[in-house]
Amino acid sequence: MKPRTLLALFIIPMGLIIAAVPQNRTKPYKLTAGELLGEVTTRTQFVTPDVVADMLIKKDPSLRLIDVRSQDEFEKYSLPGAINIPVTDLLSDSYTDILNQDVKMNIFYSTGTITANEAWMITRQLGYTNNFVLEGGLNYWFEAILNPQEPASTSPDEEFAKYDFRKSASQALGGGLTVQTMPDQSISSPKPVIKPVAKKKKPAGGC
Amino acid sequence: MGPLAVNEIISENTNLFLAFIIGIGFGFVLEQSGFSSSRKLAGVFYGYDAVVLKVFFTAAITAMLGLLFFSLFGWINLNWVYVNPTYLTSSIVGGMIMGAGFIMGGFCPGTSFCAASIGKLDALVFIGGLFIGVFIFGIGYNLWDGLYFAKFLGAPKVSTVLGLSDGVFAFLLIIVALVMFWIAEWAEKKFPRAEY
Repeated sequence: MKPRTLLALFIIPMGLIIAAVPQNRTKPYKLTAGELLGEVTTRTQFVTPDVVADMLIKKDPSLRLIDVRSQDEFEKYSLPGAINIPVTDLLSDSYTDILNQDVKMNIFYSTGTITANEAWMITRQLGYTNNFVLEGGLNYWFEAILNPQEPASTSPDEEFAKYDFRKSASQALGGGLTVQTMPDQSISSPKPVIKPVAKKKKPAGGC
Repeated sequence: MGPLAVNEIISENTNLFLAFIIGIGFGFVLEQSGFSSSRKLAGVFYGYDAVVLKVFFTAAITAMLGLLFFSLFGWINLNWVYVNPTYLTSSIVGGMIMGAGFIMGGFCPGTSFCAASIGKLDALVFIGGLFIGVFIFGIGYNLWDGLYFAKFLGAPKVSTVLGLSDGVFAFLLIIVALVMFWIAEWAEKKFPRAEY
C-alpha cells in the first residue's frame, strides 16, 4: 500500500501544476547577439535588384518574393509573383513553413530597405536560412530597373552593359521608360495563394 | 534546448549511441521488475498479477510529466518531438493480433528478448514465432497493403483530438492511471494464485 500512496501523493500535485500552467509557446532565439552582429556587418543578406530582375525574366523557380508591407499597399502594387506576409504577422504559425525551409530563396522587400531588413533580422534570429533582402526596396527597383538612367559617355563598359540589361529588364517586367507614378499591376497577374507545405525536419523514430 | 539531435547539439551518431545506452537501461529495468517470467506477464489478463499495468503506466506518466515540465522550463521544444503517425485500421487489427499473442504466449516482443537474454526456452520459441509472423507479413505484403495504410489520420495527439490542453490531459491521465492501480490491487486480491 505504502509505495502506491506515496506515488499518488507526489504525482497528483505535479499533475495539478502541469494542468494549471499555460503551455510554453515561445519561439527561442537561435543566434547569440555576437553571431547576429557578425552576420549583419557582412551584409550578405542583401540581393541587388539586377539579380532579382534576372531571376524574374528567366522564371527561376527557386525565387520567392515576399512583400512585408501591409495588405493594402500589397494590393496597390507588388512585384510579379510576390506573396504578402505583413511584418506584423511574421511570427504566425501559418507562415513558418514558408520562412523556414531550404528549397526556395525567400527575398523580402518593402518600400525602402528598413522593414524588409527587420523581417530578415527576426527570421535570422529564429535560425531560418535562405531569407534575403532586396537592396533598396521598391524605391530603388523603380529607379534602377523600371526607369534606368543612361550612364554618362565616359563611364566604363560595365556600366553600359548594366544599363542595357536594365533596359531590356524594364521592358520585360512592365516598366515604361518614362518617369511615372506606381503602375496599376493588380489586374495583370493573379496573386499566388500561399499553399501549406508539408513539414520537414521532424526526426524519424518509433519502436 | 531539446530535442538535442534535432537542434544539432549532438550528432546523429551520438543520438544513436545514447539510444543504445537507454535501451540497456530499459532492458535492465524490465528484467529487474520480473518481466522475464511469462506467467507474471500474462497475469494482467487473468488478474492475479498486475505488474505490467503498474510498471508501464508509471513509466508513461513519469515520461509525460517530465516532458511537460521540461517544456515549461524551456529545455525542450515539444513541436520537434516525433509523434507516431496514426493509421487507424492497422492499429486496431495489429493490437488485436498482438493481444491474442500476448495472452497465448505470455510475452510481448520486447520482453521476449529480455527473457531470451536469460536463456528461457519459451522466449526463444516466441521469438521464432515473431519472425515467422514478420516473414508472412513481408511475403504477403501486396495482399494487405491497402489495410496497412487505411485511414491515415496524420499524427494527432489525444489532447488535441479531445480539445484539451496538454497539461489538463496529463492530469486526467494521472487520475485514470491511479484509479487503474487501485482496481488492479483489488483484482490481485480477488483472483489470487498461490504459485506462478
